Amino acid sequence: MLLIRHSVGSRLFYQTNEYNIQSIGDKWVISIEITEDEAIKIIKFKEELNLFDVEKNQKTWYYSSDANIEFNNENQMIITADHKTVYPV
Amino acid sequence: MIQKYPATSRYSVKNDWLESNLSFSFGEYYDESNIHFGPLRVFNDDTVQAGKGFGIHPHREAEIVSIVLRGQLKHEDSLGNSGILQFGNVQRMTAGTGLLHSEMNPSTEEESSFLQLWFKSNQKQLPPSYEDISYDTDSMKNRLLPIVSSRPINGAAKINSDATLYLSKLEPGKELLFNQEQGRKIYVFVIEGELVLNSDVVVGKRDSARITDLNKLTINSMEETFFLLIDLGGV
Repeated sequence: MLLIRHSVGSRLFYQTNEYNIQSIGDKWVISIEITEDEAIKIIKFKEELNLFDVEKNQKTWYYSSDANIEFNNENQMIITADHKTVYPV
Repeated sequence: MIQKYPATSRYSVKNDWLESNLSFSFGEYYDESNIHFGPLRVFNDDTVQAGKGFGIHPHREAEIVSIVLRGQLKHEDSLGNSGILQFGNVQRMTAGTGLLHSEMNPSTEEESSFLQLWFKSNQKQLPPSYEDISYDTDSMKNRLLPIVSSRPINGAAKINSDATLYLSKLEPGKELLFNQEQGRKIYVFVIEGELVLNSDVVVGKRDSARITDLNKLTINSMEETFFLLIDLGGV
C-alpha cells in the first residue's frame, strides 16, 4: 500500500494499492494512476509530501527534496524521490 | 499591532490518549489563512496519557522544539539519541534531510503535557541533529530567560531558524519591557495566569498574541503568570 501524506501533521492525501516503484541510479521513480482533480490537490503541497510504502512489518519512507512531481495526460502522477528510509513498524 | 488569539480559537483534537490544541494548520486541520507566523509554523499544546505517545515517525525540513510543562517525555531517534525530558528541559531537533523519532509518555500513572513548536529552517538540506538542555527554573522569575535561540546564547539550545524563545514566570503586579527591532514579530503564549500587553490587551491562560509593527512591548502580570515569548524574524 502506498500512502501520500503531508509532512506537517501527516494528513493523508492519497492511498492506493496500485503503484510502481522503480530504482534508477540514486533515485526512485514512483508512479500511480490518479485523476487530474486528485493530482491537483496533491501537487499543491508538492514541497511537503512524504510517501510511505507500507508492508506488513516495515514502512519505507520516500520524499522528493526538489518537489520533482509530474502529472501526465495518461492520468499518471510520477514522483521522483531522492530519499529513502526503511524502518520497522 | 497586537492580535489576540483566545485559547478557544485553537483547533482541538482529542482521542483516548491525546489531547492536542493546534494554533496553526497541522494534520487534518488546514486553514489557508493560518499557516504560520513568521518562521513559526506549528504550535501544538499536547497532553498525552500515561504509557502512550507517538510511535516511530519521520520528520524533514523543520526545526522542532519541545518544551515539557508537566510529566515526562521519552525521546528516541534514528541518530541514536534517547532520553527522558521533564519540566526544566527543552529539546531541539533539526530534521533537515530526515530523521525518525518516537516520543512517549513513559509514566504508568501521570499524564504528560508539552508544547511542540516547528520553525521553518533558515537553510534546506541541513544534516539532522538533536540537542536537549536543562534550564534553571528559578532563573526565569521576573525576567525573560532565553532557552532556544538562533543567536549564540550561553545555556540556550541552538536553532537553525530566526527565532529566540524565552520563558518567564512573573509575580503578580510585575512588569517586563521587551524592545523589538523594526520589522520583526513577537509571539506570546500564556501557559498559566494572565498578562496585560501594552496596558491594553488581556491575554489569559492558553491564549496567545501575534504582535507586529511594535518596537516596545510592556508585559504586566495580573497574577502569578508563566508564559512563553518568541522573538521572530519578519518573514
